[in-house]
Amino acid sequence: MAALATVAVFAGGCGGNPAGQGQDTAGAGGDGANDVAVYASSSEVMVFWDPADSFSNEIIAMNNMYETLVRAQPDGTVKPLLATSWESSPDGLTWTFHLRQGVKFHGSGAEMTAEHVKKAIERTIRRGRGASFIWAPVDRIEAKDKYTVVFHLKYPAPLDLIAAAGYGAFIYDADYAESQGGEEWFNAGHDAGTGPYTVQSWTKGGDLVLTRFDDYWQGWDGKHFRHIVFRTIEDPGTRRQAVEAGEADFVNQLPFDSLEALANHPQVEVVTAPSYQNLLALLNTEKLKDRQVREALAWAFPYEAAVQDVAAGYATQARGVVPAGLWGHSADLPTRSQDLDKARQLLEQAGGIDHKLLITYTSGDDAQRQIAELYAANLRSLGVEVEVRGMPWEAQWDLAKSPQPEQRQDILLFYWWPEYPTPDTFFRNMFHSEDEIVFNLSYYRNPRFDQLIDEAAKVAATDRDRAVALYRQADQILFDDVPVIPIYDLQYARVKKRSLKGYVDNPAYPNVVFWYDVYRE
Amino acid sequence: MGIAFWRYIVRRLVLAVGVLAGVTVVTFLAAQVIPADPAARWVGPHATAEQIARAREELGLDRPVPVQYVDYVARLLRGDWGTAVVTHQPVLSDLMAYLPPTLELVVASTLLAFLVGVPLGVVGARYRDRLPDHLSRLGAIAGVSMPTFWLALLLQLVFFRQLGWFPLQGRLDTTFQLVHPVRVITGAYVLDGLLVGDWALVVEAGRHLVLPAVALAAYPIGLVMRMVRASLAEVLAEDHIRNARALGVGEGTILFRYALKPALGPVLTVVGLSFGYSLTGAFLVEAVFGWPGLGRYAANALVAGDYPAIMGVTILVATAYVMLNLVVDVLQAWLDPRIALR
Repeated sequence: MAALATVAVFAGGCGGNPAGQGQDTAGAGGDGANDVAVYASSSEVMVFWDPADSFSNEIIAMNNMYETLVRAQPDGTVKPLLATSWESSPDGLTWTFHLRQGVKFHGSGAEMTAEHVKKAIERTIRRGRGASFIWAPVDRIEAKDKYTVVFHLKYPAPLDLIAAAGYGAFIYDADYAESQGGEEWFNAGHDAGTGPYTVQSWTKGGDLVLTRFDDYWQGWDGKHFRHIVFRTIEDPGTRRQAVEAGEADFVNQLPFDSLEALANHPQVEVVTAPSYQNLLALLNTEKLKDRQVREALAWAFPYEAAVQDVAAGYATQARGVVPAGLWGHSADLPTRSQDLDKARQLLEQAGGIDHKLLITYTSGDDAQRQIAELYAANLRSLGVEVEVRGMPWEAQWDLAKSPQPEQRQDILLFYWWPEYPTPDTFFRNMFHSEDEIVFNLSYYRNPRFDQLIDEAAKVAATDRDRAVALYRQADQILFDDVPVIPIYDLQYARVKKRSLKGYVDNPAYPNVVFWYDVYRE
Repeated sequence: MGIAFWRYIVRRLVLAVGVLAGVTVVTFLAAQVIPADPAARWVGPHATAEQIARAREELGLDRPVPVQYVDYVARLLRGDWGTAVVTHQPVLSDLMAYLPPTLELVVASTLLAFLVGVPLGVVGARYRDRLPDHLSRLGAIAGVSMPTFWLALLLQLVFFRQLGWFPLQGRLDTTFQLVHPVRVITGAYVLDGLLVGDWALVVEAGRHLVLPAVALAAYPIGLVMRMVRASLAEVLAEDHIRNARALGVGEGTILFRYALKPALGPVLTVVGLSFGYSLTGAFLVEAVFGWPGLGRYAANALVAGDYPAIMGVTILVATAYVMLNLVVDVLQAWLDPRIALR
């Protein structure tokens, strides 16, 4: 998911007229220009076909085959989809969803009812794979009548946001899928969703072709594509040529240097949008016990260079640990900019650092590598000894969880993003006290902080304003205590044909194009 | 065939089995050292500690390494290659899905190496130390020393971008797939097209095959060319050729009828070995041309530390390599019985 992180090196193929132009995908029968769209992906789209299990690239295609009860919007609100309306009890423990009528499933052709919704989510929970843990608050699901589903929760949670998740929240015909063979049947390239598109053909490792589902509940009036092709092109140079030559309509990822070169292309445009993903440097609060030392480290960080030079401007400096654009972000939080004098002064006051600092980052991620090296150079100029170590993620994680705390790293770079649009995941996973370390890799312990975010999670569903205020306080504590240096919030840079209209980047569903809403002019 | 021939074959077979056993040990041990936690990968990002512990148990990773190895080999012999961590699918069925496109590419490039390399080698031998020989030597050196991926990019630039003769990437055009349902039999599209007489498919798949096959063939072409030239030169210096020349036999007949046949023995070895080389060389070419083959599978597996899949690919490629060597050895022993006696 290190979306824009890889700055690959490809300088060839500039200039000249792309051959093979005018290959604009007509002729498959139907309404010409709006017939086929091609999505070129940097890595394989379909690996897991079971909608209960998928927790990766699959969502790119699955959100066109499947739908969720509700859909999160870029502005932070939640809009009806398979549910037309919903409400929660004042204590946030009971959630009632009223279902849309006349929605048909692919394959079985059955009309979606409350029973289907209950069975789909129960199956996802039972399998316990992928992102199924998002349903952890659910105690039981009740099909109250044909079109009403009631969720009874163990503790208050924003179930509307959970039901909008891009992973693990799909509604599918579980009985039908099981009768066909369950996981095995899915993995042969089948789907059991309600979405606008269904599988036409797929070969393992090869292209996935989706085609219109004729009985789609929103109908097919207006401009829509008939077929969507998902094709994997690993090589960034080839991917770029494919979109330049008109062979691909949409490319989810290209190296920064390619983006700049494409800026003035007549047929192709680069669209940037904020993401819900940020890059953070977690400070080891056990090895760097002195708050003043940690503050010094935060003042020494090269924020400007990270954003401008490393991310080539496709990022914004982070303000707090919640990415701007996600609710719970506070635009009035303080930030730091690099001030080496201040850092030096604070270090002197604290009596310096008594050991060599170890900075780890995920190897293969060029942005992280460059940032780690830059930061190390700045720290060395302050007389701090630093070692920078790139490691495969699992190894980095193992070191961070090492049973010998003195073995662990001092500073760890990594990305975080939410499974569904909630700020809670940023605070809870990384900074809530943990007896067994999982993602609290700053080893932070602060009862006051824990209390604030626990309270915020409780009221998030029922009193959003109060939750935001509580998260604001929690974020302020992190700023003052410095267990983390928020580096930057990533921006997505998509490359698409100019003729492709109606595309809106939705950071709640990374890399997803909702093809039903998109058309060609 | 004499007893020596059969004894030779048995000896080679035993050796081949030994090599493969060695490969399983080495890959298995190497997989243990990979600093990646397959259990963590199995359950995906942001997983809980319990999920990972459960996966570790499910995958049998909580058992001692020797036990895991014995279990692995026992299952391998029963045709169970384990379950891939990335795809959660049986490794063997994954391999069978990704292998045909790679084989198609490798076979095409090997054919190309043979068809282009042999005539050029003959030319080199015929016009020894004259301009055609120098040119073919230059070509051979270029082919052998040019990085494959770089050549692949160059081919795209010239034949797709500038000339527009061949497609940029993929195995079939997207539109073609929509109007023309493909009946998959072997998974090698050109062959499938030939089998059912689907000429449109043969042309479409063939068009897509050209550039990657050429990129992959550069190295073997160079090898074959030099090998043919060297062994032809040797044969041409022999007495019976001189006699034939003295009798006024035409130069073409001498080259292709009398000299080439005995010279092809060593060439066969080179072709066999280069086939093995191409299996892995194809990985880079596949990446550049978006060719959905074994290379894509192997790359995904490597990045994820998916050791059952990595081992599957390694053992498959090693087996192919060993089998090819065996076939080549046997063929040579058959062509030249002296080899079996050595």
